[in-house]
Amino acid sequence: MVMNNQEPHVGVYICHCGQNIAGKVDVQDVARFAKNLEHVALARHYQFMCSDQGQEMIISDVVNNGLNRVVVASCSPRMHLPTFARACSRAGLNPYMLQMSNIREGSAWVSLDGKQATRKARALVAAAVSRVQKHRPLTTRKIGVNKSLLVIGGGIAGMQAALTAAESGFPVTLVEKEASIGGQMAKLDKTFPTLDCAACIGTPKMVEVAQNPDINLLTHSEVKEINGFVGNYTVTILKKPRYVLHERCTGCGECAGVCPVTVPSEWNEGLGSRTAIYRSFPQAVPGTFCIDKKDRAPCTGACPAGVNIQGYVQLIGQGKYREALELIRERLPLPGVLGRVCPHPCESNCRRTDVDSAVSIRALKRFAADNASVDPAAPEVERPEKVAVIGSGPAGLAAACFLRRQGFQITIYESAEHLGGMMRTGIPDFRLPPDVLDAEIELILKTGIEARTSQSFGQDFTLDSLRSENFSAVFLAIGAQGGTGLGLKDEGCSGVMDAVGFLREANLGRRPDVGGRVVVVGGGNVAMDAARMALRLGAREVTVVYRRSEEEMPAHAEEIEAARQEGVKFSHLTQPCRYILENGCVTGLECLSTSLGSPDASGRRRPEPVADSEHVYHADTIITAVGQRILAPWASAVPELEWTPKGTIWVDEQTLQTSIPWIFAAGDAVSGPATVVQAVAGARRAAEAISRYLDKKEPALDMQPENPRPEKNWNPLPKDVKPLQRALPGQLEPQIATQGFQEVEKTLDVEAAQLEAGRCLNCAVCSECMQCVNACEREAIDHGMQAEEIQVDVGGIILATGYELYNPEPLTQYGYGLLDEVYTSLQFERLNNATGPTQGQILTRDGRTPEKVGIIHCVGSRDKNHKDYCSRVCCMYSLKFAHLIRERTGAEVYSFYIDMRTPGKNYEEFYNRIQAEGVHLIRGRVAQVTDVPDNPEDAGRLLVVAENTLSGKVLRIPVDMVILSPAMIPAAGSTETARLAGVSTDSHGWLTELHPKLAPVSTQSSGVFVAGCCQGPKDIPDTVAQASAAAGEAVALLSKGWVSTLAERAVIDQDICSGCGICTQVCPYGAASILPEKRTALINEALCRGCGSCSASCPSKASTVQQFSSRQIFSEISGLLKAAGS
Amino acid sequence: MNTQDNLKRHPGEETGQDLNVLALVCNWCTYTAADLAGVTRLKYPTQVKLIRFMCTGMIDVRYILRCFLEGADGVFIGGCHPGDCHYLSGNLKARVRIKGLRPVLEMAGIPEQRLRLSWIGASEGKKLQEELTGFTSEVRKLGPASFRQMHLV
Repeated sequence: MVMNNQEPHVGVYICHCGQNIAGKVDVQDVARFAKNLEHVALARHYQFMCSDQGQEMIISDVVNNGLNRVVVASCSPRMHLPTFARACSRAGLNPYMLQMSNIREGSAWVSLDGKQATRKARALVAAAVSRVQKHRPLTTRKIGVNKSLLVIGGGIAGMQAALTAAESGFPVTLVEKEASIGGQMAKLDKTFPTLDCAACIGTPKMVEVAQNPDINLLTHSEVKEINGFVGNYTVTILKKPRYVLHERCTGCGECAGVCPVTVPSEWNEGLGSRTAIYRSFPQAVPGTFCIDKKDRAPCTGACPAGVNIQGYVQLIGQGKYREALELIRERLPLPGVLGRVCPHPCESNCRRTDVDSAVSIRALKRFAADNASVDPAAPEVERPEKVAVIGSGPAGLAAACFLRRQGFQITIYESAEHLGGMMRTGIPDFRLPPDVLDAEIELILKTGIEARTSQSFGQDFTLDSLRSENFSAVFLAIGAQGGTGLGLKDEGCSGVMDAVGFLREANLGRRPDVGGRVVVVGGGNVAMDAARMALRLGAREVTVVYRRSEEEMPAHAEEIEAARQEGVKFSHLTQPCRYILENGCVTGLECLSTSLGSPDASGRRRPEPVADSEHVYHADTIITAVGQRILAPWASAVPELEWTPKGTIWVDEQTLQTSIPWIFAAGDAVSGPATVVQAVAGARRAAEAISRYLDKKEPALDMQPENPRPEKNWNPLPKDVKPLQRALPGQLEPQIATQGFQEVEKTLDVEAAQLEAGRCLNCAVCSECMQCVNACEREAIDHGMQAEEIQVDVGGIILATGYELYNPEPLTQYGYGLLDEVYTSLQFERLNNATGPTQGQILTRDGRTPEKVGIIHCVGSRDKNHKDYCSRVCCMYSLKFAHLIRERTGAEVYSFYIDMRTPGKNYEEFYNRIQAEGVHLIRGRVAQVTDVPDNPEDAGRLLVVAENTLSGKVLRIPVDMVILSPAMIPAAGSTETARLAGVSTDSHGWLTELHPKLAPVSTQSSGVFVAGCCQGPKDIPDTVAQASAAAGEAVALLSKGWVSTLAERAVIDQDICSGCGICTQVCPYGAASILPEKRTALINEALCRGCGSCSASCPSKASTVQQFSSRQIFSEISGLLKAAGS
Repeated sequence: MNTQDNLKRHPGEETGQDLNVLALVCNWCTYTAADLAGVTRLKYPTQVKLIRFMCTGMIDVRYILRCFLEGADGVFIGGCHPGDCHYLSGNLKARVRIKGLRPVLEMAGIPEQRLRLSWIGASEGKKLQEELTGFTSEVRKLGPASFRQMHLV
């Protein structure tokens, strides 16, 4: 061992590398130059320093001439540093007393001129000589290796690698992102050149993988994080939920039979469809089904009540009306009502608007309610607790229904004679017939709810009386039953009434006399209802007066339109200022014109009266529809109940509990005037809170805001969706409608409803209709399954993430995506496959057997505008297609190639055989594929236009089908996975191997290997060979059982360290820490990777990366610059 | 840019008075790209000499200053593309340090154009050639530097 204080004796060795270096660099000159450098004992040059003789030369000089430092000027240290380090060791010299000078890649190969190259080589050698003098002997330690392996990707490469490693006795974790292993190869029909059936050779491998006890197969899973270093990796894997229990699923497929959702099948490359619960193909491994759930559909997200809209729409599409109605009633006990009056926020969020217009969701809901009947049973479990529901509007009825389902004893108190609240008295019969409401109330009560009508709170019963009747909780849903006036003088005179009161009178059958001319003041839905009701009560002329413009009207557009259709007139930008009276009766309304000013707090523009614009509307009746009040004459008797400044009942936002703990409230009394669906939503929340309260959950009310699934990752809009007219329910003719109180809107007919349901795009894919749950006898389906993260410790990693096809759509000249009969090669594989959409028959989309087929090679590959590389397999599989088409259909096949590439065992022979089979092989790139044929008799066919570059002729060939052979590209996500493993990618995204020839399956991340097409396009035999090689390299690492620690790691000079702790903050591996007793930093040798972040950040320069110390760098810099300047 | 033009001889080269450009580069990306440039015989100016580091994150600003003080006319730093760092984020740390160094260089009278930081991936031999050639010609436009005599630190 060389002592530190020894005078440096440097030996310099200049390699010729044959002519690689010596051809450009004057090696003798460089050796002479080196000999004269300070501390250089000897300098030699030799033909191949890496050869045995070259290495022996170094060993002999160290032993015989007392060298204590060595400089080898040859190729890149990335190539031969280990070689020369071993030579030093063999000579008894510490291997870190060596410095390499890269004069091949660094000078000879990158310089034009020999003189310049020699000059540069001199400088590089001088720098190495200068640097090596500062080298110090370093030692390393052995660290154990975790003897297991991770394989990412379950295609043929991943399966082969996993099997090879497992059979060598090392446990393997195989991670596949899809639901089944098999990869792209499993989609193929036959394989070239032997025409083996891909399934026959692939599926046994898949089964073998699944059955091998040493392989832990994780499908539908993704690697999220890789930590650690060679031999000791910790890998975080996300197991995505399958929603089907692997242990229970028998793969019978009953679930898929009842699933109403169909989406394009990825497995069949979009040619067929699959259900939301699916198994890609019958031979899938594992055979467990899987549910495809995207984020919650936007319609359901928009529904205040959270009704599973996609679910019932799909069920209607399947004709399962009862199931649809049951699904609606789960969250909405009044489907018939809401199918008529809901303002349908769902439709505003429908993604079908991106194609044409929203699905008529409300009409479908009504269709279900009108065409099916349910028979809700009493709850299975009866509970003794009694709950009083005060008010029987939508909130009261819904809460009663929800609470009763949980078994509570419910009594509804209603001040009016009939149940229904505003649904009965506020909404006119021509929008909501009373028999519809009665039927739905009947269904709710049928489950065992008592209703007491004509019972006014505060008069007929009180909180005390409820207490004494042993009610444990009260739900207060008294609504907002009072109308408001305009706040003008003479408000109470004859002929002026508020809309709430007017509609109540009219709806209860006491048809008030309104005279011939009616003015309705207000712009909301109630104003529209009042106006339309006035027409039916005999008014000849009804005018709606509103102080802003139509744009600001709060009424829904369809309500405004309906009123207009029936003849209601509108006077916008008009503000009432005075009632005109005659004998105490109103005869007119004096108004001012307005203009719109700046927006107010509500965001709507404030109306400002125009001076001197008074004008009069003559009227026999004036109806004010400008707001509603909550009527609570009993309030003073219940002083503990708190109210908000707006005059609504105060409740806790989450629990809807009032200031009196046993009383909960929801509906208009809490929110102010709102919609039926909002009342139902509030009731649902309150019912949940009451149930928790009664369960004595302490703290009783710890409900969190509902956490909806994120709404972004939806089923992509299908490309081939054709715009369709939205189904609009029929309407009664306005002239007939205004004659009576008959319902105006009609229900959809069966055909229209089916069509309309078919327009749904299944944004969430699985609609959670739960039909599969009912169908599965093994109870294997769990829609609540959650994603799970697991960690595995492994010693090595094999990346086998595979390829996909380049999308040929940008090559518009070939018409892919535009012309039906243009297919990609993988699509044709599926078309040709017994498990494919046509059961293996080669048919056009309209079911014909093609008579002529064109095959186009090099689509997107060998193309500077797309991918400039050759995808290697396309010529061969195109020949295979030609053979299969000839064999199965007898069609004429025209195969257009640029160059025929058949490098492989028996490939050229296969090519010769196909030629002999009479396939037309045409050398020339296709210019265009069109659906405009030259001859009328070829109508309906495609025309392929190409030049035969061998004959120089332009060909125009009519065909029935065109198959494209697109470029192979790295599978989506492979770059991200490579990054996790510290492997770089090239400009196309293919993973970079350590050395293209000598280390083709290793990567620059030690312990990480590549296999298969993720490294570059290749065929199956090469893939399998490479996978076996990668497994071999990995097994070599695992069998050896240890790796050495890095010598190039950070150390802290304890004498200088001030303990500032900056190193602990910059270290990406958590290797630096502060020793509490000494208050100085320490680097954990096992964790340090030698990146040097700490050394560059250390203010006192106490941190140094060994072999990259500042003394060494400074010496290298001055060596370089001095030599260059000399 | 015309590579050939930049490779032709310049006055002063013979006498050793020509430019010195030092490239401090990361082992995993730019150094690998330089090896690739060599293997594919892509030429770049011989005035550029590489110093190999394990990561740009270990490049102390003192090294850059020392290059200038010892006679370098330009200093090139080559690291991995953001997100590709072999040590997670060393390249980003280098970027921060170099950003902080620039005003110091300007104060010392060293134009900041003499220091360039580039991201060159392991497979980007061509980019390495273009970057080094372009940088050298830019430094050449600035002329030889005379920081050797400066007593900066």
